[in-house]
Amino acid sequence: MDAWRRLKKNRMAIFGLTLVTFYSLLSLLAPILPIYSYKHQVLDHQYLPPSLTKTAGELLYERDEKTLMEAARDQGRSGLNEKEEEELSALKQRINHETMIFDGKAVQVHQKRYILGTDSLGRDLLARIIYGGQVSISIGLVGTLTAVLIGLIIGALAGYLGRTFDYIAMRIVDIMYGLPYMLLVIIFMAIFGRNVINLFLCLALVSWLTLSRVVRGQIISLKNSEFVQAARVVGASTGRIVFRHLVPNILGVVAVFTTLQIPSFILMESFLSYLGLGVQAPLASWGSLVKDGVDGMKSYPWMLFFPGLAMTIFLFSMNFLGDGLRDALDPQSKNKL
Amino acid sequence: MTKYIIRRFLGLIPTLFVIITLSFFIIRIAPGGPFSEERALTKQVLQNIEKRYHLDEPLHMQYGRYLLDILRGDLGPSFRYKDYDVNYYIRISLPNSMVLGLLSLLLSVFFGISTGLISATRQNSTLDYLSMSVAVIGISVPLFVVGPVLMYIFAMRLNLLPTSGWIMSGDSWKTLLMPMATLALPYFAYIARLSRASILEVLRSDYVRTARAKGLSESVIMFKHVLKGALLPVVSYLGPAFANIVTGSIVVETIFRVPGLGRHFIQSALNRDYTLIMGTVIVYSVIVLIMNFIVDVLYGFMDPRISYR
Amino acid sequence: MQNQEILHVENLKTYFNTDDGMVKAVDGVSFTLNQGETLGIVGESGCGKSVTNLSVMRLISSPPGKIMGGDVFFHGKSVLSMSEDELRDLRGNKISMIFQDPMTSLNPFLRISTQLVETLCLHQGLSRSEAREKAVQMLRLVGIPTPEKRIDAYPHQFSGGMRQRVMIAMALSCNPEILIADEPTTALDVTIQAQILEIIKDLTVRLKTAVILITHDLGVVSGMCNKICVMYAGRIVERASTDDVFRNSKHPYTRGLIRSVPRLDKTTQERLYSIPGTPPSLINIPECCPFHPRCEHAMDVCRVKYPDETDFGSEHKVFCWLYGDSNRTA
Repeated sequence: MDAWRRLKKNRMAIFGLTLVTFYSLLSLLAPILPIYSYKHQVLDHQYLPPSLTKTAGELLYERDEKTLMEAARDQGRSGLNEKEEEELSALKQRINHETMIFDGKAVQVHQKRYILGTDSLGRDLLARIIYGGQVSISIGLVGTLTAVLIGLIIGALAGYLGRTFDYIAMRIVDIMYGLPYMLLVIIFMAIFGRNVINLFLCLALVSWLTLSRVVRGQIISLKNSEFVQAARVVGASTGRIVFRHLVPNILGVVAVFTTLQIPSFILMESFLSYLGLGVQAPLASWGSLVKDGVDGMKSYPWMLFFPGLAMTIFLFSMNFLGDGLRDALDPQSKNKL
Repeated sequence: MTKYIIRRFLGLIPTLFVIITLSFFIIRIAPGGPFSEERALTKQVLQNIEKRYHLDEPLHMQYGRYLLDILRGDLGPSFRYKDYDVNYYIRISLPNSMVLGLLSLLLSVFFGISTGLISATRQNSTLDYLSMSVAVIGISVPLFVVGPVLMYIFAMRLNLLPTSGWIMSGDSWKTLLMPMATLALPYFAYIARLSRASILEVLRSDYVRTARAKGLSESVIMFKHVLKGALLPVVSYLGPAFANIVTGSIVVETIFRVPGLGRHFIQSALNRDYTLIMGTVIVYSVIVLIMNFIVDVLYGFMDPRISYR
Repeated sequence: MQNQEILHVENLKTYFNTDDGMVKAVDGVSFTLNQGETLGIVGESGCGKSVTNLSVMRLISSPPGKIMGGDVFFHGKSVLSMSEDELRDLRGNKISMIFQDPMTSLNPFLRISTQLVETLCLHQGLSRSEAREKAVQMLRLVGIPTPEKRIDAYPHQFSGGMRQRVMIAMALSCNPEILIADEPTTALDVTIQAQILEIIKDLTVRLKTAVILITHDLGVVSGMCNKICVMYAGRIVERASTDDVFRNSKHPYTRGLIRSVPRLDKTTQERLYSIPGTPPSLINIPECCPFHPRCEHAMDVCRVKYPDETDFGSEHKVFCWLYGDSNRTA
């Protein structure tokens, strides 16, 4: 457990851990948080900029007022005429009283405050980022765990059984390593359709390679190590050897791989979503949010910046954490002592 | 050494084989392809295909033909565009992608190693922490966030760089900057971290201690004794790095509208133009395999334990 | 005839600041080396013998280690106050060191010729070809066959014993005044050990080099050295000529060490002797005689204070409270 102690000393890693925990909590608790829904559209509220203090209604009003004033100036007038004034006050009425029904509840729609702004369909960006996070993080998690499972089993078997199984398995790994996997993933998605299950499957199928090699290496070196021989001399069975002796030594490597693979997975998924091959509407993932953001980037930069920022922060937190874990579990790689 | 080279070369063949075989089958059985009934292809395309693929012949003969065609360099007709075949598209777009990819790689290697070196020699200084934090961020930020952000800042707000265009189509050299910077960033970051770690490890080795005990100066030690060994992991990394750059370039080409192979690839994936898809994959794979081979040979030259057995 | 004193280590202290606490690897070590002498430093693993000598050359990596006190005098000049340039002039040139593991101590990426020639060019100002000539000569001296051809090989193409010979050639090529050999034979086969020691002895006599030989093997030391320092837990417990150490040792630890060596002339009925207990952890070690937990003569004072030096004459010095009251030096 001095690994834990070493980890605690690494400030960047703890910083990363805190942020990751924060994100995870947010994702888990999202349904009960007091935020707006990610899918409710209020078309009036398209493209509202982020604002901490002004409500949607106020922003709408200001925007309309500004448009009208500009139009008036173009026509050579300095003020608004009666018709325009009427328009504005009608708008004001609507703002103060209009309600829409969401999930069976009537909501005074224009009183909402969009802290991070809205997207092209009037959906709250903050909510979409949080829900997008849910999707992205769970894809990252599940995908990585699948990859870990596959890699662990194949690697462990290859290492422990050796000979033919090992040879074949490693040939396969070598060949797959040579293929530009992203291309294969894209092809897979193009052929078999763009749903989330396919996404998991094909991403997991290309990610298990590194882990299997690493696990195999560990198993091989441990297999012949003295403490396994000692266990055998004392009469321990194969099963016992595997579980009591080999597994704890592998865990460290697996933990590091997992922490560093999750961001990789999320990147791959976002990549695909960005290209239009990943998560489909109305589900949002960080990747698809960025894609939407790029489309409107010139006039509505917040649609790009906030999802991008949220995602980047999560990813580098995980990377810091992964680095810290690696240093904590193998202090010789720390280069400090 | 020659045995090593030959062995590495032979290792390429099974992979290539697998890809070509996969390609053959995917073209035929994938849903939405011209061989399935769903698709309503234009008469012209259908005729092209039937003529090319000798569909009346038994399967293994078709496979043989396909293999020979590929080996001769003929990748077949496009499913989508009736007038042009796959080779044409690849010919007009591949050079652009190669230029982008290789330049970005060079950029990332040069800056990556330099940064790693500077960080390692000033370990734990502010400069070190700063560069390593930048490096972590560099490998965390997705390409498709960096690209648009750069475009937003430099092209839309500051108006310093053009939003599209490409040097090889005759536009200014400035069109190179943002795509290259975007593509190079994650690899620069990774190489910086890798070289720093590797240099630090070599600095702690016994043979560097011997070098110090002989009275050599720090700069001689660094450049003569340390770098050779420390850069080996970086060289190893170049192989997979290049493969990744190939996929990264797809995104960068889309964002900055570079007329490269990646863009065609995406289009063809969305169009289910399977011959073009598979043709692209074969070309990419061949390039990646060759690069990996070159890197392996380079590594063999750099590590005397391999070249002098 | 008094040989000229060339190295004097005075109360050297080197500590390492680790996560677990302050390790006092070397805690007040003093000794002297005269021209042409061979000094053996003996002790168990971890007693501080290597660190002492690395400190002499200032090769301690500075985080986490630091020379905290004392000084090292080479021909009367303080090594610890030398500038970088002076230090580099010293290393490899006036004081050379060879290490325990020849496999990792040579740069695997450079040819032997490069590694030999660079020292010669640096310290003796020879041209490349002159240096190469000299290097070939040195290789011949240490017994490497066909040195003109083998000099262009890489380290991994040599066997362990050969590599150590190369290290010796490299260390002696600039004709240093002192050769520090840190467990030079520990990583080698017993048969090769004898050869290597022969070479060291032969060459250093020929070149009139003084030697500091670090080892845990008393047998090695008895054959090679004039004087011996016995170290324990970062301190020297006894210093004497080789004869005195083997025939007339005073410190309980030294006696224990000698008793532990299996002997052919005794009957096989006796059990092999080993000193009971284990060496102490050097982390935050308190002020005391570090051997007291294992010493059959331990007294109360041993638990609280490190013994003063007792001089038995003809350079035989001991640090033990057994002799504390009589024969005190002034």
